[in-house]
Amino acid sequence: MAASALDIRDVRKDFGATSVLKGVSLSLAPGEFLVLLGPSGCGKSTLLNMIAGLDPITAGEIAIDGRVVNQVHPKDRDIAMVFQSYALYPNMSVAKNIAFGLEMRHIDRAERERRIADVSALLQIDHLLKRKPSQLSGGQRQRVAMGRALVRDPKVFLFDEPLSNLDAKLRVDMRTEIKKLHRRLGTTIVYVTHDQIEAMTLATRIAVMRAGVIEQLATPQQLYDEPANMYVGGFVGSPPMNFIPATLVENGSALAVRFAVGPQGAGGEVTLPLVDTPAAARGYVGKPVVFGLRPDALTDFSDAEAMLRPHGQRLDVEVDVLEPTGAEALTYVTLGGTTAIARVNARRAVDVGETASLLADMSHARLFDPDSEQAIG
Amino acid sequence: MTELSIHGGANTASARLGRLAIYGALAIFAAFYLMPLAVMVMTSLKDLDDIRTNSLLALPERLTTFAWSHAWNEACIGTECTGLAPYFVNSLVMAIPAVAISTFLGALNGYALTKWRFRGANLIFGLLLFGSFIPFQVVILPMAQTLGFMGLSSSVAGLVLVHTAYGINFTTLFFRNYYVSLPDDLVRAATIDGAGFFTVFWRIVLPLSPSIIVVTVIWQFTQIWNDFLFGASFTSGGSQPVTVALNNLVNTTTGVKMYNVDMAAALIAAAPTLLVYVVAGRYFIRGLTAGAVKG
Amino acid sequence: MADTRAGAASGGPARVAGWLQRHLPKIVVAPSVIAALVFFYGFIIWTAYISLTGSRMLPDYELIGFQNYQDIWRLSRWNTAVWNLAIFGVLFIGVSMLVGCVLAVLLDQRIRAEGALRTIYLYPMAISYIVTGTAWRWLMDPEIGIEAAVRNLGWESFTFDWITNRDMAIYTIVIAAVWQASGFVMAMVLAALRGVDQEIIKAAWLDGASLPQIYRRIIIPSIRPVFLGAFVILMHLAIKTFDLIMAMTSGGPGTATSLPATFMYDMAFQRDRLDLAATSAVMMLVTVTAIIVPYLYSEIRAGRRD
Repeated sequence: MAASALDIRDVRKDFGATSVLKGVSLSLAPGEFLVLLGPSGCGKSTLLNMIAGLDPITAGEIAIDGRVVNQVHPKDRDIAMVFQSYALYPNMSVAKNIAFGLEMRHIDRAERERRIADVSALLQIDHLLKRKPSQLSGGQRQRVAMGRALVRDPKVFLFDEPLSNLDAKLRVDMRTEIKKLHRRLGTTIVYVTHDQIEAMTLATRIAVMRAGVIEQLATPQQLYDEPANMYVGGFVGSPPMNFIPATLVENGSALAVRFAVGPQGAGGEVTLPLVDTPAAARGYVGKPVVFGLRPDALTDFSDAEAMLRPHGQRLDVEVDVLEPTGAEALTYVTLGGTTAIARVNARRAVDVGETASLLADMSHARLFDPDSEQAIG
Repeated sequence: MTELSIHGGANTASARLGRLAIYGALAIFAAFYLMPLAVMVMTSLKDLDDIRTNSLLALPERLTTFAWSHAWNEACIGTECTGLAPYFVNSLVMAIPAVAISTFLGALNGYALTKWRFRGANLIFGLLLFGSFIPFQVVILPMAQTLGFMGLSSSVAGLVLVHTAYGINFTTLFFRNYYVSLPDDLVRAATIDGAGFFTVFWRIVLPLSPSIIVVTVIWQFTQIWNDFLFGASFTSGGSQPVTVALNNLVNTTTGVKMYNVDMAAALIAAAPTLLVYVVAGRYFIRGLTAGAVKG
Repeated sequence: MADTRAGAASGGPARVAGWLQRHLPKIVVAPSVIAALVFFYGFIIWTAYISLTGSRMLPDYELIGFQNYQDIWRLSRWNTAVWNLAIFGVLFIGVSMLVGCVLAVLLDQRIRAEGALRTIYLYPMAISYIVTGTAWRWLMDPEIGIEAAVRNLGWESFTFDWITNRDMAIYTIVIAAVWQASGFVMAMVLAALRGVDQEIIKAAWLDGASLPQIYRRIIIPSIRPVFLGAFVILMHLAIKTFDLIMAMTSGGPGTATSLPATFMYDMAFQRDRLDLAATSAVMMLVTVTAIIVPYLYSEIRAGRRD
């Protein structure tokens, strides 16, 4: 087995009495793109700083390319970092900014210039080399910051929310650019963000963090389809997963969820049979569960696509709110006493107050324990 | 405030009267602040007869630079009739190294305290901050003893030491308050790039500091040049700074009282700091308002 | 913030280098800290100690308790100095604040020559108190100064001889000190006025408030911290006032303009009473501390909250 590019073993971080990281472990194969995803204060940036060597480690071990680096100075860790603020040296030209790390490593001038030329060509910033950071646009600064990291050709790249200072359009462009760079260079990247779309588009694996622990570490698709708990289901995906309070009942040989429909249960109760339920679910029969269903698994019944969903179940419910977004309309309805969102083709959307016929694709259903909020099975 | 006053109906008569009143009041204040300087300049260019017979507000009848040259190299200070020149030089020799050393140390301290926060950094900051408010009377006696012990009594070198020691806290505060707003990420990025403590200081932090250096140098220079308490307490005779010499010159009672020479001497003593103020007033004001402590 | 607690992993010289790397910031700050500890705090302790002895011309290290603190209040000279400081302090601070605020508000009205006027109001702050004292002493001199000038204009009975008048001399110090420091208040207040959120003012304007109302109800309250800051600094200046007295009146006529600072200097360098000099210095320090420490404490706490 090849040595992993990055190993994090039960790493903890305490600031005085407060624990910021409560034991985090993960392992990264060379060439992986890992995104640390979570809200601010979840410890993702602290973890990144500890990998960089900017924050001391309270307990545990970090190894880069098989070498434990706990006591190694940041400059000797063979990493490079792109900062949220870019942290370009304002007094130096773009070329000097890019070359600074090489200069500190006593790489001779000819070699430095060759590498600057390579990197600036790759990032299309060759025409900016003589400028000062203050003369650059946000997107250009972003490129220079990446150039400064790339020029060093390190084992692991660290990105700390690199796109959050860009406007929406530029953010999407740069996202694509980073993805292309990763494809092309095959580098190992650890990338911190709070933006789940960024995480989903870029990552080969995502670690969803909350309050100093990793809630789930999986590929983007796994994370989306099989969230380990309600937190992940709610954090990943936009709009978030619907969580419908329901009761688990037996429906012949299979299991089903039963819940009230419409405001104050005006639409009566429905029982929707589940598809291949996990064994653990048997223990919940007759008890309350949370029935999780992505908005895109709750669609328009009359849609032609409904035919293609063999496990689709019909649901008739009054529409509370309608939010057209162009191609589709988010239809807000009340299921199990709480709001649920359905993604409906905008041209067939039903107006507020009228009854919509929705299709729940039960093959995408997910059950959660209402107390622990963990997925069942 | 600015835009609103425009809409305030600037066309009505009462509004115009109000503007007039504002400008009038500002002009009267300006006259009050300028009057002493104007009278000093005029008097320094008069001869003694002119001063005795005409009002102090009158323009000189005959312009003469006698008072200036007399104040510069002939006037008696105590029993020595050398003029202010040697004392002016004393002040320069005292102020330049003291300003340079205290500014440099302040920059280094401010950088270390903000960008490499270590345990006790806040305590050190508190100690220095409080130090800048101590009335110097409380350190004069032991300082005199210490200078005597070090053989620096009544020497310009002793004053350099004193002004450096009691200037570091101010310079450190100035630089600290400036460097606090410098992004920490710069230092982090440079650390990853492989730069150490001093490399970051020389290559990244110092090149970003020209404005605060100017502010600090001006502040320190003004403070040190204008000091009287230390100069009067720790020096005598030929090693006195210009402020002490000026006070002695004015208070020397032998012979005829030469007001014009007094005024010329005062202007000579004030000239360097006034010059700095005129050239770099913007930075002087920033120093003053920065002195109004930010935690 | 770059807390890089990472030395080299092994080896002798490397470990020394790592240690140095880690402790460099502390090593760099150390000389200044030691200087502060000796020159400020050590010296304060020394002075406080001397104030508990019977030192005359030379330090005498035998303690006599708080005798000096009782004796000093029996000296009319000291009582006069403290009383003078009270009068001077109240008037100097009050008038400087008033003048400074008025100037700042006037200058804030889109004045055409604002830059030049600001320069004029503030230049005294760049001048030595000795120069200020020399100039004002001469202006106040009844023989040749303002009094003579006004009489020269034809008002023969005009009298302005405060500087030679025991009861009035302290007010001449106030005038000169206000001349010197009021521009500083102006600069601070003006900077604060410019920092007030323009949108709040626009909102008040739309709510129908008049200009004076906006100043009184919105702007002044929102820049209150600046008043406190200016007040503390002026108070501090007042307590330290020394140069101006020496240049204008040398504390006279008699002791009419003596202040604690001149008392201290007198005792230390003219009368060989180190004990009383130290005692007066400690009392000045205590007074300043009583004002400064709560202020700094609240400032730092406010700073943390931001």
